[in-house]
Amino acid sequence: MLFGRRRTWAMLAALALVPVLVAVAVRIEDPGRDGPPFLGSITSNGLFVSLTAMTVSIPLFLPLTVGVVAGDTIAGEASLGTLRYLLVAPAGRLRLLAVKMAGAAAFCLAAATTIALTGALVGAALFPVGPVTLLSGDTVGLGGYAVRLGLLVLYVALSLLGLSAVGLFISTLTTVPVGAMAATVVLAGAAQVLGQLPQLEVIHPWLFSAHWLGFADLLRSPLDLGSLGENALLQLAYLAVFGSLAYGRFTTKDVLS
Amino acid sequence: MRLSRRWIPALVAPVVVAAGAVTVPMVADADPGLPARTPQQVLELVATSTEDSFSGTVEQTSDLGLPDLSGLGGGEDGAGAAVELLTSSHTARVHVDGPERSRVQLLEQMSQRDLVRNGEDVWVYDSSEQTAVHTTLPEHEGHEPAQPEGTPAELAEQLLAGVDETTEVTVSGTDTVAGRPVYQLRLDPRTDATLVDFATLAVDAGTGLPLEVRVHAVGQQAPAFVVGFTELDLDTPDASLFEFTPPPGAEVGEQELPDHDGRDPGELPEGPRPEVSGEGWATVVELPVGGDVAAADKSGMLEQLTRPVEGGRALQTSLVSVLLTDDGRVLAGAVPVEQLAAAAR
Amino acid sequence: MTPQVGAPLAVETRGLSKVFGSQRAVDDVSLQVPRGSVFGFLGPNGSGKTTTIRILLGLAAATEGEVRLLGEPMPGRGAVVLPHVGALVEGPGFYPFLSGRDNLRRLDAADPTTTPRTRRTRVEEALERVGLSHAAAKKVHAYSLGMKQRLGLANALLRPRQLLVLDEPTNGLDPQGTREVRHLVRSLSEDGTTVFVSSHLLGEIEQMCDSTAVMSAGRLVWQGGMEALRAEGRARVRVRTPDVAEARACLAGLGLEPDLEGPALLAAPLVDGVATEQAVAALVAAGVRVRGVEVSGETLEDRYVALTGEGFDVAG
Repeated sequence: MLFGRRRTWAMLAALALVPVLVAVAVRIEDPGRDGPPFLGSITSNGLFVSLTAMTVSIPLFLPLTVGVVAGDTIAGEASLGTLRYLLVAPAGRLRLLAVKMAGAAAFCLAAATTIALTGALVGAALFPVGPVTLLSGDTVGLGGYAVRLGLLVLYVALSLLGLSAVGLFISTLTTVPVGAMAATVVLAGAAQVLGQLPQLEVIHPWLFSAHWLGFADLLRSPLDLGSLGENALLQLAYLAVFGSLAYGRFTTKDVLS
Repeated sequence: MRLSRRWIPALVAPVVVAAGAVTVPMVADADPGLPARTPQQVLELVATSTEDSFSGTVEQTSDLGLPDLSGLGGGEDGAGAAVELLTSSHTARVHVDGPERSRVQLLEQMSQRDLVRNGEDVWVYDSSEQTAVHTTLPEHEGHEPAQPEGTPAELAEQLLAGVDETTEVTVSGTDTVAGRPVYQLRLDPRTDATLVDFATLAVDAGTGLPLEVRVHAVGQQAPAFVVGFTELDLDTPDASLFEFTPPPGAEVGEQELPDHDGRDPGELPEGPRPEVSGEGWATVVELPVGGDVAAADKSGMLEQLTRPVEGGRALQTSLVSVLLTDDGRVLAGAVPVEQLAAAAR
Repeated sequence: MTPQVGAPLAVETRGLSKVFGSQRAVDDVSLQVPRGSVFGFLGPNGSGKTTTIRILLGLAAATEGEVRLLGEPMPGRGAVVLPHVGALVEGPGFYPFLSGRDNLRRLDAADPTTTPRTRRTRVEEALERVGLSHAAAKKVHAYSLGMKQRLGLANALLRPRQLLVLDEPTNGLDPQGTREVRHLVRSLSEDGTTVFVSSHLLGEIEQMCDSTAVMSAGRLVWQGGMEALRAEGRARVRVRTPDVAEARACLAGLGLEPDLEGPALLAAPLVDGVATEQAVAALVAAGVRVRGVEVSGETLEDRYVALTGEGFDVAG
């Protein structure tokens, strides 16, 4: 359903544009050592396009698209008037919620995959490709890199799970999908701003965005899966808390739209 | 309105998450129930430690009462790097296989710095700069440091060397560090002239490895400086870790060894020989730099950090004070600024 | 598990109330809808019909009272009951970016008890039944309101149902479409389906239904057979006379409340204890020139207005 919708594909296309823009910009002008991480490595190895694109997409583009999808889950159905027909079908409120959350999670995975794959393809098309230098200075072959890129996609998709659960909950509060989307995106921004304030260091590890940029740990040798695990725990905690809030709200809510 | 039982999961989930977040570290930090030891016995444990192959994660945090300046982009010049080291937290992975082979990986968010030593070869690799610098160590010149620099072991040695009549050493109890049972050695300065309230050294009860150092400042609840292992694996690290080949595309350089052993990147550059006054915890180190130090500060960071005092500018942290005199001397010590000023006269 | 086939009532509520803030949208409603009937749920807009229907279908929770659908308590047994209930609630709701056919397939898939194998044929049959086969492949955003309404009906007919709940089913339909809906309801009823139709239009209910309930301001003001509603209306007596003033005084003396309906025509609803012949005798005795007397039953419309206390199409 989610993927039968033109808007979903438009958002994935917009995400695919990020690595393309990165690659084309670097092709036109060599950035040297400045700019976002990995950018300078692109000219010597096109595979770095994926990493640069991922780094620049995480703070804004990914939360934006995930916010749209997650905020739309229930509120979108309510505003179209389809929610009442789904419930009368009867879809079952818990089942509907689970399907919607699974859809949002699938989108997170699709979004991260889109950036990684487009980046690799565009990079390979415009620049030379070879063994990839990791942050530790070691190099891995294409196979090893593919494994790490796969883990990285998983990591980024996982990172967005907490935000999706928050969006799902917000979506059960309203029948105005745009409101739910905006609130979710604003929260994603707010979490990152809070993460920047040293005065709030105490709450930093509890923000859903705490490990968003920690995917670099997958590019070290020896491979460090610690932050992947921590991130997974954090995101699952968000999923549990906001998932059950959404359940409480949605199963007791009067569907009047 | 009565609360539907459908809200029960929403009430339970945060409690479970919070309980998990609280109890998991508590279980990990449970009192290991070790037999009582005297300070002498704990020190012997350290001295007789034969464990020289391990890998682990070391974390360092500081709470020196300084503003977080990591955003100012220091690290280019020596002063910036020092300030950065003082004010922000660091995580490093340490791999050690005997005294000859070690690798320290300083982890940053999107980059990493590696110090790899394999026998006589030392490589320093910086991923953000993509530079690899090679140094060849001279063959066994005097003693070899038993542990890589910057690890708890090194700091522990410094602390233990100072154990004399200036310091009261006790075993304050047992604890768990990096999942391992430890004895906590507590060092209390016998003087009031220092900013150091006390320091603790956690010694692995099984291996005798020093695992954590905490320094507490006078009048501050949280430790001012902590460096210690958060993970420790006693297996011998994979040999390939110590074989470093500069990656393609990296700028490779060769550095002649200065007078001293290769130092950690980010450490203050060493200049002329320092002068030492005072004793014990109240020791003041004086370093003639020459010229106006504050004027040489390009980033303006010193200007922000220091305050003007009689005869120069002073930096006061909860643990260490630094005085930059107008006549080009730098005085530092774990003492109040007033004492530095007195020493400068 | 199927709902109790033997339950005599398709819909039953007891003391149903729904409070929104300080407003009682539904107030102590006890409905009894016999199985196999075509039940008209009548009332002006805003009288609580749709809210009642939402509670029946488990979309909203009742503040007080109980609901049984096909003999099973709602919303507790919704998962068991609702597959046997087809519904059109407050207008159609569809994904504008999907075709009519895909919309039906998706809604059918939302019911975990349907068989995916027969989905294609069931969807086509439902489209055929509401006359939408020709537009099945069009995206719904290109549909007219009437077409959407038909698609909504098709959704209710995706599988054989024991009960159909149709909220204002002829909204947006042209007269031709309205007649088709009436036809559809009749034929469904002949197949044994209980049809619960809500409307604010008396004429529609009158033509389709055999029993009815009337809502007004959240309360159930009448319930029973259509014929009983018709019969319950009070008769009116009309007196044609040039002596209007005298006739009025005389009738008032009998306890009637006459109104002037024309230049020489008085009309009054009859009250208990006053027979038409008594009134005529009294008029003649009073010397009123009676030129004509006519007794007529009250129209259903009069009755409806009397029950709901307002005219049709009163919003609010």
